[in-house]
Amino acid sequence: MSDNSGRSSRREFLVRAAAGLAVALPAAVIARNALGAATNTSTETGAPALIGLSRKGGRPISGGFVEDDAAVGHALRDGRISRNASKREQCRARVVIVGGGMGGLSAGWRLDALGMRDWLLLELASDAGGNSRGGANAITRYPWGAHYLPVPAPDATHVRTLLHEAGVLADDGTFDERTLCHSPQERLWQHGRWNEGLEPLDAAPAAERRQWERFGAQVEAWRATGAFRVPLAGAPHEVGGPAAGTFALDNISARAWLDANGYSAPTLRWWVEYATRDDYGGSLDQVSAWAAAHYFAARDPEEEGPLTWPEGNAFLVRHLTGRAGDRIVTSAPAYAIERVGPRWRVRTPRLDVECDVVIWSAPLFVLPRVMPSVSVPVQTDYAPWVVANITLDRRPAEHGAPLAWDNVIYGSDSLGYVSATHQYLGRPGPESVWTWYHAIVDRSGPGARRWLGARPWSEWRDHILADLSRAHPDIAECVTRIDVKRWGHAMARPVPGLLARNRTLSQWSPAPRMFVAHADLSGFSLFEEAQWHGVQAAESAARVLGG
Amino acid sequence: MNAALFATVCLIAACGLIYELVAGALASYLLGDSVTQFSTIIGTYLFAMGIGSWLSRFIVRGVVVRFVLIELLVGIVGGFSALILFLAFTWTDAFRPVLYGLVTLIGILVGLEIPLLMRIMRERFSFKDVVANVLTFDYIGALAASLLFPLLLVPRLGLIRSALLFGLINVVVGFWSTWLFRHELPQRRTLQVMAVLSALVLGAGLWKGQAITTFAEEGMYADPVILAKDTRYQRIILTNWKDDLRLFLNGHLQFASRDEYRYHEALVHPGLAALPLAKRVLVLGGGDGLAVREILKYSQVETVTLVDLDEGMTTLFASHNRLLALNDSALLDPRVRVVNADAFVWLDQHEGMFDFIVIDFPDPSNYHVGKLYTSAFYRLVRQHLADDGFLAVQSTSPLFARKSYWSIVATLQGAGLRTYPYHVYVPSFGEWGFVLAGAVPYQPPHSLPEGLRFLTVRAIPALFDFPVDMSAVPVEPNRLNNQVLVRYYEQEWEAINR
Repeated sequence: MSDNSGRSSRREFLVRAAAGLAVALPAAVIARNALGAATNTSTETGAPALIGLSRKGGRPISGGFVEDDAAVGHALRDGRISRNASKREQCRARVVIVGGGMGGLSAGWRLDALGMRDWLLLELASDAGGNSRGGANAITRYPWGAHYLPVPAPDATHVRTLLHEAGVLADDGTFDERTLCHSPQERLWQHGRWNEGLEPLDAAPAAERRQWERFGAQVEAWRATGAFRVPLAGAPHEVGGPAAGTFALDNISARAWLDANGYSAPTLRWWVEYATRDDYGGSLDQVSAWAAAHYFAARDPEEEGPLTWPEGNAFLVRHLTGRAGDRIVTSAPAYAIERVGPRWRVRTPRLDVECDVVIWSAPLFVLPRVMPSVSVPVQTDYAPWVVANITLDRRPAEHGAPLAWDNVIYGSDSLGYVSATHQYLGRPGPESVWTWYHAIVDRSGPGARRWLGARPWSEWRDHILADLSRAHPDIAECVTRIDVKRWGHAMARPVPGLLARNRTLSQWSPAPRMFVAHADLSGFSLFEEAQWHGVQAAESAARVLGG
Repeated sequence: MNAALFATVCLIAACGLIYELVAGALASYLLGDSVTQFSTIIGTYLFAMGIGSWLSRFIVRGVVVRFVLIELLVGIVGGFSALILFLAFTWTDAFRPVLYGLVTLIGILVGLEIPLLMRIMRERFSFKDVVANVLTFDYIGALAASLLFPLLLVPRLGLIRSALLFGLINVVVGFWSTWLFRHELPQRRTLQVMAVLSALVLGAGLWKGQAITTFAEEGMYADPVILAKDTRYQRIILTNWKDDLRLFLNGHLQFASRDEYRYHEALVHPGLAALPLAKRVLVLGGGDGLAVREILKYSQVETVTLVDLDEGMTTLFASHNRLLALNDSALLDPRVRVVNADAFVWLDQHEGMFDFIVIDFPDPSNYHVGKLYTSAFYRLVRQHLADDGFLAVQSTSPLFARKSYWSIVATLQGAGLRTYPYHVYVPSFGEWGFVLAGAVPYQPPHSLPEGLRFLTVRAIPALFDFPVDMSAVPVEPNRLNNQVLVRYYEQEWEAINR
């Protein structure tokens, strides 16, 4: 052990010495400095070979973990949250919304639309937005989670209303071209080069292509059933309804379904698993075949491309929080919800709020920790995720199709990266921020979260660089910073039995005058689901209060 | 020892043949007429080898030292031969003298190798064995080289790096010889150091070979280059042949001074002459100031705002004497304001209305430029266009890139503008297309400024007539989220260049 560390520090010393040498050597640079002609950029381009050498010798990459909600969440779980009574403020509101993700923000948005403006939203974190939060640096804004919204179907009324309000959807029903994802949208790294589009069909054998065609026909058949809708609640899911034919899919995993139907092509299986990891944070083994089918069959194949912003769906958060104003209280973890006569008291460390109705818009697993009397009738498997924002100060080398919005490496355990500067209108400079997504699917829930909590940042840094270096051999020389966000409970995973679970939840209410507004009710995390449940909860609250 | 000696013969024979093949292939590639090039180069080379063989008689003492030195020299000269020839072609007027001079020099050195080696071996073998073995391995090496060259080296390494690689082999043979003949070389340290230095130089060339090739190839313009400048965004090359000045950006011709007046008069006057009250004019792209030169012919124009991404370009066209003569110092005119910014971003972030807007971007050959031809962009431009104003857009060739041209027209229409497509013939470009667009109907002008070289009032209406092979085709408008124009453009120019 000690020998080992000795060796590594010696190596580091040598590396540093080499770097110092390389910087000291280039006479051209020194001469330019002496002439006063050198700016930062000219010294950088002055002796690229030598500076390149110094970078290879260990270019420092800064960064670390960004704030996550684990500390507060664990304090809440363990009853360690500070209950400082002396400085506590009291106030009243008709409705308290607990949780400022898309469900809670949509509930507030809908309450306003119903003329019910007396609500207060309590958010545990320092920013509202939940999975749709974003960040910013000197180069660009960037997402920390959800980063796009598929173009909504004509009957997705609430999504369309919001987009119209945010100036994205015009009166004539057209979407702002600047907000639609610019071309080129996607590319896939396969066989040593980038190819346009995500389907790994480059040089695929004829037998595999036949399976792809068969799968395509299957997706069409699924789509025709009408069972797969976004948001889910609009679909006819009652037992014995027109979509009941698809329910058998929900009893098995996606892998079992692929096996049973002779889909052996590695490219096709990768593609389907890419989809389940990307939308549901689950592997083929973890995710219900029905959910996998939903990914492919719920969207119109001829859509204009997703709506996206540099900061991802934080754009929508900004719109919603902007109109909510000071009715959103951040850094206010609700640790108890108590009955006070016919009313509720929601307690946070600095503020107690009395209200008539509570809208619970935090994840379902948190509810019993805040209200021990409540038991949720279903279990939810939560997928852990890691999202990293990678700051680059120059373009890495690459081969094939040009940089796209979504860039995926075939065979990687990550989901690839999204360029945050893609929607920039002008000619892009060398700097950018890439958002790298990784759903942890190879470990079971609690074990994965313990592992996630213990793994140091430096391992993520190396993991990310190794992953990207397949497609960009010089990536380590282009990156200046890697910020990593850990999502312990990023999203509900739609495991087999999803539909039965959702049916149980649809009959359930945690308490009178309390409604749930969270995508957990749908069993998977999509903006449209969260918004739908937010709107429903708001309408239920309005009914109760109005009557 | 014997095997090592004959391997040496084999290698130096291979190297000698490779240099000859490189010179022949490069001359054929650059000058054409491969029969002439190969014949004259083989002839010169063999003759020079004869000179070398004859000269070997004058080397009396220190044969081994001379042999090693010749190996290093052949390695350096032969190794860099392809690079020197490339650079000589692109950056000088003296390609043929350099070519034959270099072939002669390498031939002489190669011609010296075998006689010297035979003399070194004379003490070890009988004369008949020396001749038989040396010539046998000489021919084997030649066969190996002649097969490797077309099958492996040219496709895999290219000419420049193939030559460098064999130069390196020559140097290695030289170094190896200092060990092979160590008994005859009591003081071989200097030779070894020289060999290592030569190897380093060649190795560096090999390492950076690709970059140098690109540099050399970029310089392959038909006319002498009078200015080459790298800006942050592009490589600007200016060539001159007699009185014709040509500007290339990243290798693409932007104008030839011989006929650019046709292009720029057509870009500006059909629109601006129809707007007798136009005071505020905006030019997007066009950092060469040639469109501005035409605009300044209207005395009622009060301000011209030129927005060009590349400061290197606008500075060049505001300072270089030849270019100032070409654009009549347009960019120095007090009415002109130059802004270096991305047009899309600048329009998005600035207010300001204009009576006439000229859009003169490079052709939509990639997604970055393609953004500047989208309906989103034209909608933004429209917000800066006065109600009764017009914009004129350079729109690539309706003949060579017919779908691209009509896609630009469709895009302008999709942005809610009336369009008036027209075209002119510019000899250095061919048939070229423009589109006038605006919110109000367009009437061709009744008068034009003095001193135009191409357009007349009577000729203008005829420009709007499209013959059958350039007439409209059904195409999609170009949008940020489909960039169909870039795809049309790629397909069409690929078909032309095939």
